[in-house]
Amino acid sequence: MVNLTIDGRAIQAPKGKTILEVADANGIFIPRLCYHPALKPIGACRICVVEVKPGPPRPIPACATPVTEGMEVNTTSERLQQIRDELMKLVLINHAMECPICDKGGECELQDLTHALAVEKVDLEAVKLAPNPDYESLFVERHPDRCVTCGRCVHICRDHVGAMGINFMQRGYFTELGSGALPLDCEFCGSCIDICPVGALINKLWKYRARAWEVEKTETACPFCGGGCTYELHTRDGRILRVRNEESILLCSRGRFGFPVVEAPDRLKTPLIKENSNFREATWDEALDLVAAKFKEIAESAGPNAIYGVGSARATNEANYLFQKFFRQGLGSNQLDNPGRYTYIQALRGLAAVFGAPQVSGVEAATTPPQPYQSPLTPGEGAQGSGFPFVLGHFEDLPKADLALVLGADVTPEMPPLGWKLLRALDNENFRLVLANPRGTKFDRYAHLSLRYKPGTERILLAGLFKAFLAANPDWTPAVSAKGLEDFKESFKKVTLKDVAAKTGVDETLIQETAALLAQAQAPAIICGTELLAQDKGEQNALALADLFLLIGKPGTPGSALYPVAEKNNTRGVCEAGVMAEHLPGYGHLEKAARGLPLPEMLDKLEAKDEAAPQALYLLGGDLLRMVPHRSRTEKLLKKVPFLVVQDAFLTDTAKLAQVVLPVAVHAEQEGTFISSDGTLGVLAQALSTNGVRPDWQIIGQLGERLGYKLGASHPKQIFRELAKTSPLWAGLGPKGSYPLMPGEVTGTFVPFEVDLSLPGRRPYTLIVGKALNHSGSFTTHGPEGTLKVTPRAEMLINPDDAKNLGLTDGDPAKITSSQGEISAPVVLAPEMPPGVVFLPEHFAAPPVHLLTLNSNLVRVTIQKG
Amino acid sequence: MDLPRLEAILSRYEGESWDLIPVLQDIQDAYSYLPKDELQVVSERLNVPMTQIYSVATFFKMFSLLPKGKHQIKVCLGTTCHLRGGGRVVESLSHRLGVEVGYTTKDMQFSLETVGCLGSCAQAPVMMVDDKYFGRSTVDKVPKILKLYK
Repeated sequence: MVNLTIDGRAIQAPKGKTILEVADANGIFIPRLCYHPALKPIGACRICVVEVKPGPPRPIPACATPVTEGMEVNTTSERLQQIRDELMKLVLINHAMECPICDKGGECELQDLTHALAVEKVDLEAVKLAPNPDYESLFVERHPDRCVTCGRCVHICRDHVGAMGINFMQRGYFTELGSGALPLDCEFCGSCIDICPVGALINKLWKYRARAWEVEKTETACPFCGGGCTYELHTRDGRILRVRNEESILLCSRGRFGFPVVEAPDRLKTPLIKENSNFREATWDEALDLVAAKFKEIAESAGPNAIYGVGSARATNEANYLFQKFFRQGLGSNQLDNPGRYTYIQALRGLAAVFGAPQVSGVEAATTPPQPYQSPLTPGEGAQGSGFPFVLGHFEDLPKADLALVLGADVTPEMPPLGWKLLRALDNENFRLVLANPRGTKFDRYAHLSLRYKPGTERILLAGLFKAFLAANPDWTPAVSAKGLEDFKESFKKVTLKDVAAKTGVDETLIQETAALLAQAQAPAIICGTELLAQDKGEQNALALADLFLLIGKPGTPGSALYPVAEKNNTRGVCEAGVMAEHLPGYGHLEKAARGLPLPEMLDKLEAKDEAAPQALYLLGGDLLRMVPHRSRTEKLLKKVPFLVVQDAFLTDTAKLAQVVLPVAVHAEQEGTFISSDGTLGVLAQALSTNGVRPDWQIIGQLGERLGYKLGASHPKQIFRELAKTSPLWAGLGPKGSYPLMPGEVTGTFVPFEVDLSLPGRRPYTLIVGKALNHSGSFTTHGPEGTLKVTPRAEMLINPDDAKNLGLTDGDPAKITSSQGEISAPVVLAPEMPPGVVFLPEHFAAPPVHLLTLNSNLVRVTIQKG
Repeated sequence: MDLPRLEAILSRYEGESWDLIPVLQDIQDAYSYLPKDELQVVSERLNVPMTQIYSVATFFKMFSLLPKGKHQIKVCLGTTCHLRGGGRVVESLSHRLGVEVGYTTKDMQFSLETVGCLGSCAQAPVMMVDDKYFGRSTVDKVPKILKLYK
């Protein structure tokens, strides 16, 4: 601690804090303009100058000066006030005094500061600058003549978002914030808007819709990825007007501009029943009665196993928990699963094979009265756990890692918050980033090593990495107790680096360098994404990464962990809530004989016309057609199901096949919880009325009632408590908290993985189906006012030389053919694509990219002009 | 876009982000301005965002984003030249060429700009055309100087 005085007041403050931070913490106001708590000090405006003794004779900026022992700070002398007055006049010389039409009015820091410092008049004059407003760019309106050149937007864009979409142009008096080109071409996250102290950057969706003080604010969890951000919805008259994150300001484009999807014109408003292959609108009672009657009929005639349930990574934990209760307690079957089977569950299975299933001991009932969304269990004295959840990392800890190996993840599109944390990790100059991806991604700019491997050769590359590592460190002992290393080493006997280099296209020396970095790392982290998990051998990929972490990981060291991307808001939660064929809630054990069919096997049974094939499907959202590989097959099979019920907010391609469609509430219209990719509990608060649709949990509850099941669905709070009670892993978990909260003992067994290449087809190009930055599943493709504006259609990224050989230029339509099907998409020349590799995002209804895929997100295709 | 011409410039460097300014200088020399398409390629090769390139290109006076004329006229408006009538020289040039300071004539022959000092105060007012100095340049001499280049 440091002792100092500010304006004569004796204050104790922690070392390393700046004068401004200490003053703020002690209720002493120092005027400031460029300083923002979410950013590092910029020191551009000099309004926060203070006099310091002992120190230089001139005033110094409080925002950038750390406190020292015995420091005497004066924040209000006459000289300081004069300086601030002068500085404010200089700021105001060119500031367009258009407060009446400026949308920032009422929350403008310059307005407040002018008022606080009582700047009466500006008696200075200078050359007038051209206003140069930008009304063209999407979402962001720019008014350089209102800019105070504080630099906040440049800093947040460069240091926190990593987009560098905006920068200082010109210099000196003529400095202005610009992008160099019109309109803006950036990530459209809008973080610059909310960090701007004035109205130089305006949110177009918010402009002129309300004044800042007129809105109601509701804190809730973001539904647009598994990153688990919490933000505030600003609503008025039952509409969301904007979204803000007051704490870090950071949100991605989906988070900030995705909300219009709530008001999308194609939102379902009433239940639909199919009659003579056409939908008609129905009342809730009618629809629920019909579903209940049908379910009853099928369960009685063909047994409870004839009804199959598919949970949803969009729905809350409560809805999913109730869904599995509907099946397990109500119907008495385990025939349910969730679409994470094609991605995240592959990771879970791979990790569990190496690190074991979760085991927790020493958990007891909490003695404190239950708070809403607080687990009724608490880790007692000596509570301990083991198994794979204890090697999964928290995003907060990632910046403490000293190395991150990112394999098969285009981090920012898959999960923007993970990208922000990587940038924080990069603040540490000892941090090393190793990026392995078939194509160039945003983080290549920051990577210390970039391994550009051929699509689908991940496991060969990893085998090479193991080989190089073990050759360089023959006596290596893993940091934790690990079995089977000798046998594991044996499995690479036939692997040669030369062969690996030839197959993956990654240089031998690069593999060796990576191995050397891994060996040096004191807190290595491994990040993998859906591009790797969505392959048919995704589980093998995850297994190989789990082995790697067992070898080099330092569990227990903050930051050293595995970070598999759980794509959607509740991809992790739906698994934890027990919507899995092989697990009860909280990964509870289920006897092998009692387990249900995993989703792909269920489809196989349908195809084989097996007796065990379901006669009814109950889909809790999740557009299977759009997200599951081999679309034509999925479509054919779903059409075969006699009775299909879909619960969704939109009439998706899958919902169109249903007999009954039940419209559901989306995030802002309901209460409940999500579990983010890193195990953080996000709590939804209801900000809007449901307008006739119903939250998932309520529909399941009402359906259960009609079937005579006692599901006990009175309120999400109560359902959460019941769910949390079954899950000792969540002991002590509460809103915004992350689990597990007990220490874990990590042990593992090396499991050899298959070193092979799995890439269906024999055609010249490899297509990667992946994620686009501005979309989350198909959810965001519905709101025409939202991020759909930035990325309105699926475009195929292709290497410029490939395009030239095919006679294609930007925007040309291309015919893409695989053994499964054919689609057409416009091409975009992308230098980040290696020759022979093309990329398409999977979010869109047209073209349906999964018409091309077989069992993986990778497929070989032929491309033609046309 | 003349890619081989640009490649020739880029091949002189290692393709690191810190090569940006020398690369821009070479492009400026070769093209007499920084063409947008070329900058896009530089951005991809050096892995430097376009905004950063524009920021650098607009910061330094030696760079221009607009095509320059065949001949660069620089008129000194440093203290001495200013006192000795540099302003009138600029005015005369601007009038005779029919172009504002900072712009290029329609026929792309001359670009006119003013500079802070040319380091020849004893010869004030001074102007330069390309790399040739013209000392004690007066309004009378302007047509004669221009004639040398027409």
